[in-house]
Amino acid sequence: MAVRVNPKLIDDLEYYGAQDVIKCYHCGNCSAACPFSKEPFVFPRRSMRYLQMGLEQRLKGTLEPWLCYYCGECSEECPRGAEPGETMMSMRRWLTAQYDFTGMADIFYRSWKAELWAVLIVALLTGIGLLLYGFNWGGGNLSIYDGPQAFLPSSAIHTFDWIMGGFLLVLLYFNSLRMWYFVMKEQRVPKIKLSIYIKKLYVLFLHFFTQKRYSECERKRPWILHLVLMFSYLTMLILIMLFLRQVQDGPAIDWRVHVFGYLAAIGLITTVILAIRGRLKKTDPYHKHSHESDWMFLILLVIVSVTGVLQHVLHRVGLYAPANIMYVLHMMGVVPMLVLEVPFSKWAHLAYRTFAMYFSELEVEALKQQAKAQQPIDAARQVPQAA
Amino acid sequence: MAFEPRIIGFLCNWCSYTGADLAGTSRVKYPFNVRIIRVMCSARIDPTFILKALSDGADGVLVCGCHPGDCHYVEGNYKAMRRFALLKKMLRSLGVEEDRVRLEWVSASEGVRFGEVIADMTEKIRKLGPNRIKAELILDKAER
Amino acid sequence: MEEQLKIGVYVCNCGTNIAKVVNVEEVAESLGKMDGVVVARSYKYMCSNPGQEMIVNDIKNLGLNRVVVAACSPRMHEPTFRKALENAGINPYFLEMANIREQCSWVHDDPIEATEKARVLTSAAVNRVQYHEPLEKRSVPMCPATLVLGGGVAGLAVALELGDAGQQVYLVERENRLGGNVARVDLTAPYLDSARDLLTEFITRANQNPKITVMLESKLVELGGYVGNFQARVEDAQGDVLELAVGSVVVCTGYKEFDASRIKSLAYGWLPNVITSFELEDMIRKGKILTNEGKVPQYVSLIHCVGSRSLEYHPYCSRVCCMTALKFANEVKSAIPNSYVSDLYIDMHAFGKGCEDFYRKSSEVKTMFLMYEKNHPPRIREAGPDDDCGMFIWVKEQLSGEEIEIPSDLVVLMVGMEPREDSESVAHLVNISRDKHGWFIESHPKLDPVATTTDGVFIAGACSSPKDIPDTVAQARAAAARILAKIAKGEIWADAIYAEVDEDLCSGCRMCNELCPYTAVEYDKATKRSHVIYAMCKACGACVAACPSGAIKARHFTDQQIFAQIEGVLPWHLNHVS
Repeated sequence: MAVRVNPKLIDDLEYYGAQDVIKCYHCGNCSAACPFSKEPFVFPRRSMRYLQMGLEQRLKGTLEPWLCYYCGECSEECPRGAEPGETMMSMRRWLTAQYDFTGMADIFYRSWKAELWAVLIVALLTGIGLLLYGFNWGGGNLSIYDGPQAFLPSSAIHTFDWIMGGFLLVLLYFNSLRMWYFVMKEQRVPKIKLSIYIKKLYVLFLHFFTQKRYSECERKRPWILHLVLMFSYLTMLILIMLFLRQVQDGPAIDWRVHVFGYLAAIGLITTVILAIRGRLKKTDPYHKHSHESDWMFLILLVIVSVTGVLQHVLHRVGLYAPANIMYVLHMMGVVPMLVLEVPFSKWAHLAYRTFAMYFSELEVEALKQQAKAQQPIDAARQVPQAA
Repeated sequence: MAFEPRIIGFLCNWCSYTGADLAGTSRVKYPFNVRIIRVMCSARIDPTFILKALSDGADGVLVCGCHPGDCHYVEGNYKAMRRFALLKKMLRSLGVEEDRVRLEWVSASEGVRFGEVIADMTEKIRKLGPNRIKAELILDKAER
Repeated sequence: MEEQLKIGVYVCNCGTNIAKVVNVEEVAESLGKMDGVVVARSYKYMCSNPGQEMIVNDIKNLGLNRVVVAACSPRMHEPTFRKALENAGINPYFLEMANIREQCSWVHDDPIEATEKARVLTSAAVNRVQYHEPLEKRSVPMCPATLVLGGGVAGLAVALELGDAGQQVYLVERENRLGGNVARVDLTAPYLDSARDLLTEFITRANQNPKITVMLESKLVELGGYVGNFQARVEDAQGDVLELAVGSVVVCTGYKEFDASRIKSLAYGWLPNVITSFELEDMIRKGKILTNEGKVPQYVSLIHCVGSRSLEYHPYCSRVCCMTALKFANEVKSAIPNSYVSDLYIDMHAFGKGCEDFYRKSSEVKTMFLMYEKNHPPRIREAGPDDDCGMFIWVKEQLSGEEIEIPSDLVVLMVGMEPREDSESVAHLVNISRDKHGWFIESHPKLDPVATTTDGVFIAGACSSPKDIPDTVAQARAAAARILAKIAKGEIWADAIYAEVDEDLCSGCRMCNELCPYTAVEYDKATKRSHVIYAMCKACGACVAACPSGAIKARHFTDQQIFAQIEGVLPWHLNHVS
């Protein structure tokens, strides 16, 4: 069956950040340089080729962009300046948009203005919503920060958080199902039995929590920083989702809870500053190119971190009204960030990459089992030597 | 005393003679039994040269030219090939053994190969033994 | 004239190269005892100045009339020693060399055997040299006019080079315009300069040069004679036949393009939007690239190697098509910026100056490069009414390993080069040969690319093999330079070693006529004898061995001389059972 070529795809991918892929003349240095590239997943050259040729069908079901951690070795080795590393990154963006059934990711990646408008609208809605709530159903008094009479009581926020978070995660995992469907349809492997799914389940958790593969790159620094960033988020997530009341209670500092918050805040702010600095200085190969979505993400993070710290500080020093206002502003940053990033942008990788690691292990296992099953047949087929 | 064959080689100037020279510059070692006579092209080689060599006592005759298609004079080696085929027919009917008279294509770059051809031919003729033609001619004359 | 033979024998040590294995003194001493040998010496380096002086002095003082030098290969120093003889005042062909280095001391270990062999080889040389004759070089006059066949870029370059040097040129062109195939082209790769500008300059200068006689709609009908003295008969536009006396002929007849309709899977001639490279050039020159329906194509595809690199059609590469295809990719993209260009190639031959950069530049305008395999050429089919393109090209793509279908509105076939239909008749006319594909054969593919086996006839440009404009012009100028060199000398010197017919012995059987690859043997109908045109003879000896009457003599390689050598090498003193 011949695959249809879509010559327009490569123009399309420019919106996602792939500018130089046409320069690739397939020498293969990148695939040779990549520490992870080995059968049956050889990249980045194969994906570059699919993209150059506009083989949309193949590209949609490929796992390879997710198996890449963007160490940038390939871009450094490329003799033509075709930037395979950045091309893989733009493919991740494109795939995110393909998996998303709503089509929003597609819109946001293509147009940073649409992204910005969306962020502003959601922020505005959040702000208005919270203020309305605060004055009508909450404490009604800006000067009360914590406790049941608070302007924005933690129980209400707690409920809000769970609903919003739940909704976003459902969206993300639905998109992940789509990913599974595209991948399984496209990958030419033997049918993967349920036993393999169960056998390899641990891979999901292993990669999610440790990003073990990232640690195998030549440069260790990005892995360490990412791990710090991730655990800071996770800490914050756990604190907000499960210990919101303890966090918000004050103004005294409850060290058993708040110490985690402070550590997480330090972790977040440090890594964000380093990332921004990196993208501005462009010395590392994986920082040489920055898509608008990269900046959007970092800017939102900065806003969220700063407002988060400020509202906490203001609360602790007794300035309750400014603290509440800062809290509203903080939420006006958090909500759009989560709504944008989790299902439609960069955060989606927490699901997609993890699943890609899982699916790739499934494939390898299925191929291994098939080869083992084939052995006795092959042995039987060999003509016995004449005595 | 072991029998040492005497072999005459007719080599064309452009390919085979140059090939034999290359064997020299490459210090390839081969048996001393061959004596080389230079002609400009293998097409110059009159069958009478070979007949004279045999009747004057040569135990073997080697004719060398350029590989087909590479002749410096375009097609001289093809002419040599044709004449040689007819000559061999005649020699066979005269009872001259197959290995005594040989045609080889040697290019200017085949120094090592030239040495191998000489070594091979020397051994084959050593096994055949000396050429009886001259001795018989002398006897013949004496009998008259 | 029987003169008393006085032979001088010189055995070279060549340092230790010969002397280490061969006992040179013993050889010299033994040779000194031979009949006719007046002096036999050995010396360290015969080719050195003192060595040569030794020979010269001996010739002058001892009246030597034959010299044998046993040393390295004659291919090395025969000219050196011949010069020495000349300096000493005797004919240089009275020299014979014995190769006791490359074919003796360097290939044998045993000093006894090597010395014996050296002795034998040198004595054979002494035998032979007795029959050497004094040979003189002869000359023929050189007519400075030149006939150039073909008025394309090659012919124009030759004509201009000769015309600018003040020599008469007859430029014979079959069509009614100059410029050949380059005139059908708009821009040239890789620098995208205008072919028209290139040619206009050449054509104007050719027309204005008083020494260049341009004959359009004319063709050569007969060519007789030999180098320096050709008689050409040219039929002009009116049907009149002109007799031209020329000294050289340059064949610049060019090529024709492959007929793409021979390849059924490409649907040329059946699907209207499958066109050849020249048809695209036509469109570009007229200013608009449109499909047959008059629409601007959105998807344009270029297919390389149509008729080339294929065992079925032509196995060779036509050399220019890869860069021309890239040129088209650039031209299409600049004419239709929104178009998508795909380029289907087997290999990208970017061999010349500026070509690799051009390749990179072409990928920067987003040409989709697709590699197909020689044995699986692309197939073109019509698209359906719902598709957004006119055709689909099926390709087994190598870099991805996928079988794909590419949408296309206009497919351009890069047709290969072929010899022209009239190349056979031209070859016969001027007496040159064609290879198995029909291209004219050069004297030596590496070292002599513009001369042919027929002295005085040169070839330049695509008529000898597919090539681009830079190489064509280089060859054209090379041919012109060779001719100018000959003209400067004023006469052609024929080598002293050639074949000679003794007309008294010739029976007129004409066997020799057909054997000569240089057609140097001519039959005279009046005398009913054959004779050799010494200016054209290359001394291969093919006719000599064939002559049933023994009427042809190979000067310097006579039967007598070779028989003497055979007799000389056979005596053997060691280890031989008689």
